[in-house]
Amino acid sequence: MPCADELYNYCCSALCILDESSSHHTLKITFGGVHTRSCSTVPLPSAPTTKHGFSGLTQVNVPPEAPSQHPGLSGFSLLPPTPSSSPAPSYPYPLIPTYRYSFMLPIYSQPQPQLPSPSAHHDWVPLFIGGIFLWESLDSKSFKSQFVIRNGDTSMAAMTKGDSAKSSNFSSLGNSNGINRTSGMNPKIGATKKLIIKNFREKPKVSEDYQIETWKKLKEAVIAIQTSKRIDDCLEDLYKAVENMCSYKMAAQLYDNLKDVIENHVRENVEPYIRGVQDRKIFLKEMEACWKAHCNQMTKIRSIFTYLDRRYVLHTPSIPSIWDMGLELFRKHVIGQQLAQTRTVEGLLMLIENERQGDVVDRSLLKSLLRMLSDLQIYQDVFEHRFLQATDAVYTTEGRRLMQEMEVPEYLHHVEKRLQEESDRVLHYLDSGTKWALIHTVERQLISEHLGSILGKGLENLLDNNRLPDLKLLYSLFSRVKNGLTDLCFHFNSYIKKKGRTIVIDPEKDKSMVQDLLDFKDKMDNIVNSCFQKNDKFVNSVKEAFEHFINQRPNKPAELIAKFVDAKLRLGNKEATEEELERLLDKIMVMFRFIHGKDVFEAFYKKDLAKRLLVGKSASVDAEKSMLSKLKQECGGAFTSKLEGMFKDMELSRDINTAFKQHISNLKSDIDTSVDLTVSVLTMGYWPTYPAVEVNLPKELLRYQEIFKKFYLGKHSGRRLQWQPTLGHCMLRATFENGKKELQVSLFQALVLLLFNDVEDLSYEEIKSATNIEEGEIKRTLQSLACGKARVLQKTPKGKDVSEEDKFQFNREFANKLFRVKINQIQMKETNEEQKATEERVFHDRQYQIDAAIVRIMKMRKTLSHQLLVSELYNQLKFSVTPTDLKKRIESLIDRDYMARDKENPKQYNYVA
Amino acid sequence: MKFKIKSWNSVAIWKWLANDDKCGICRAPFDGCCSDCKIPGDDCPLVWGVCSHCFHMHCIMKWLAAQQNQICPMCRQDWALKSDLP
Repeated sequence: MPCADELYNYCCSALCILDESSSHHTLKITFGGVHTRSCSTVPLPSAPTTKHGFSGLTQVNVPPEAPSQHPGLSGFSLLPPTPSSSPAPSYPYPLIPTYRYSFMLPIYSQPQPQLPSPSAHHDWVPLFIGGIFLWESLDSKSFKSQFVIRNGDTSMAAMTKGDSAKSSNFSSLGNSNGINRTSGMNPKIGATKKLIIKNFREKPKVSEDYQIETWKKLKEAVIAIQTSKRIDDCLEDLYKAVENMCSYKMAAQLYDNLKDVIENHVRENVEPYIRGVQDRKIFLKEMEACWKAHCNQMTKIRSIFTYLDRRYVLHTPSIPSIWDMGLELFRKHVIGQQLAQTRTVEGLLMLIENERQGDVVDRSLLKSLLRMLSDLQIYQDVFEHRFLQATDAVYTTEGRRLMQEMEVPEYLHHVEKRLQEESDRVLHYLDSGTKWALIHTVERQLISEHLGSILGKGLENLLDNNRLPDLKLLYSLFSRVKNGLTDLCFHFNSYIKKKGRTIVIDPEKDKSMVQDLLDFKDKMDNIVNSCFQKNDKFVNSVKEAFEHFINQRPNKPAELIAKFVDAKLRLGNKEATEEELERLLDKIMVMFRFIHGKDVFEAFYKKDLAKRLLVGKSASVDAEKSMLSKLKQECGGAFTSKLEGMFKDMELSRDINTAFKQHISNLKSDIDTSVDLTVSVLTMGYWPTYPAVEVNLPKELLRYQEIFKKFYLGKHSGRRLQWQPTLGHCMLRATFENGKKELQVSLFQALVLLLFNDVEDLSYEEIKSATNIEEGEIKRTLQSLACGKARVLQKTPKGKDVSEEDKFQFNREFANKLFRVKINQIQMKETNEEQKATEERVFHDRQYQIDAAIVRIMKMRKTLSHQLLVSELYNQLKFSVTPTDLKKRIESLIDRDYMARDKENPKQYNYVA
Repeated sequence: MKFKIKSWNSVAIWKWLANDDKCGICRAPFDGCCSDCKIPGDDCPLVWGVCSHCFHMHCIMKWLAAQQNQICPMCRQDWALKSDLP
């Protein structure tokens, strides 16, 4: 600490170092005094070498002429020496001028303008100041600082000294700045302060019996609290007393004393009191009351002794806080006693048991006592385990009993109610840590244990009756337990398989099979979506089950689905709008997806489609096309290429017919052009094969047909046409006594009716020979004309069936409310032969697939036993085949030299390349 | 006249006037088309040689393009298109 007169010797030179190392430009200003003694006392960071070649603690005399060129202050504005730099006359050292520099400094961490102490020398190191720093806050970011360097200033130095009592000598200089706010050339310096040094203040002593007296006072207060009496002393005094005792190192003693008092109270008063109560319920109530009282007392006591808690207990790790000490004592002396503990726990269990049985119990009592156990940290040890055991026992018996007594839905609701109750219990009074174990116990005893019997007893019923809310509940309960959903899914799956099989397998129900399937699928989907949360497992299970049962009966479902589609796409199906139809088709496609033998579907669909197109019964081209695109999406282009070909043929035919009509009108001949001929020309490969039939056509029709043939062959050379009379149909204009009618009839019907133009009566034989229609066909035709709804002919004898002896007569009195009467429904009807033929064709085509599969496998394996070959075939083939069929195909391939039997082992085949 | 035909929708199936049911080159039936085509009919027509053999047009074109001598693959006679079709 430099003394006042030493300051005279200080030279006013400064070295400013720019610290480049930090991100800020830190200006370090060091002042080197001429007086080397003071310099040497100050630690300095290593200063960079200046231009002048000085480093470290070096003095640089600022040349008065050009202070702004001082190297260390570059970048800062350095005010030139003011005119008053001439020596002030009042100072004894006139040679040293006063400079005034001002520059900007960034703020560092210091919130207040303050010269850093040497300890913070990384920011600032004023080595020594021969002048004054003046700090002014410019804004929040920087300070303007000025320092005035002048020759040694006694008054300033003295002032500096006056404030330097606490801090180190250099930082003290900073404190002087406030005085020199009025900075300027000659700052006015305040009156000199004298440095007064005082002795330490002596600590007041306490009287000898202070501790005893004070404790007495405190003890009285504690006992007053414990006995619910008025406290005589002011609480603040008590608090102060504790504080004082702590200050005089009596804390440990105080703590021990306090503990003794509390322990005494608990042991002497509380515990015996509790012991005296006999009745269980009253016991619990008393226990609660004691606990509450204890807590209240402890709270108050702790408030008084807060200072002890904070100052002593907190810093002494080995002892518990006052509150914990209270708990510990209570645990030890009250609840720790075997009798009290048992009675409490059993009382609690009894209350809970009562509540489970439906009684109303004092939940707040339960809650408070259980909280007490938790607070005393014995909840888990003395209560939780026993509680869970009791729960387990209760629900084991309840589960067994109720499974016997109740219906499944009722039982499920009961379980849900129980689960709700138990979680309420947790919510209301149990410790939340018990929740998992408790709920788990209930789930195990009420659900897990009875998974099998719930599913076996109730699932089918629920599904049958479509009891959605119950199923939803079932799902949510089962999803709680392990294996619950797996089991549910398994049973659900087998239910679908079982039910589905009954739909599919019975030939009696063939008529409604597809509709039943669609309804069943809808129902199951609805259940999965609304009750089983669209769980993927269930969705897949439904698919798997459907696929399984639908293929239980080979081929028939596919056939029926095709026919179902046909019925929907046929003209006159007015029950559905376009969107409904579209939706229905989508559903059918879902069903179609399950079917393995898709070739059966294709064959029947093709047959029906052909009829729809040729007889003109298709309801809407859009619907047909949409169905086609669905099939294409599902099975690929190869599957539908023929069907598409059929549509193409129809389009081509339309063009041809337009051209033909033009041709006819140009043709000047005697032909009767009143007949409107439309021919559908089919490409052989696309359409189902139709047997070639020869019938006798009337002359004019024959001629007409010839004209078309010529026209067509003229356009397409190298072809021939084969007429297909079975598929033709006509519109006849008929004259009856009641007026004219238009009859829509098949070609065969037309041929028969036309015969009656000349005569009134014809016998069966006459008709047959005149038309040359095949026997079964003519019978069906005559039946439709004479025995159907619209009877254009009359048959003698009357009857439902046509026999070869029958005679037919034109029905003059034919009446129908419609002008246009359709009698050609028989054409759309599928005959048994047709159905058989279609089936046959499918089976025939399958042979090629089987052959191909056998050759494929044999080519890969070269040698294979019969058994392995058959099993591989079953894997490859998408449709069902009997082993005998396979055997036949294998034989056939052996005959054709695709493969051969092994010579040594007849059960083994070799591939013949 | 009790009955008079007003309109008549007839159905006919066209077939190639071929003397074989399979094309001698691609071995595919004439009812179908050659191995490169998908739609039978005018897109994949048949042609008849003077030797009376017939093939898919695409097939015989390919065959002839690959041969030095323009001969029928079936009978080795010179290939020429038959002009007068039945």
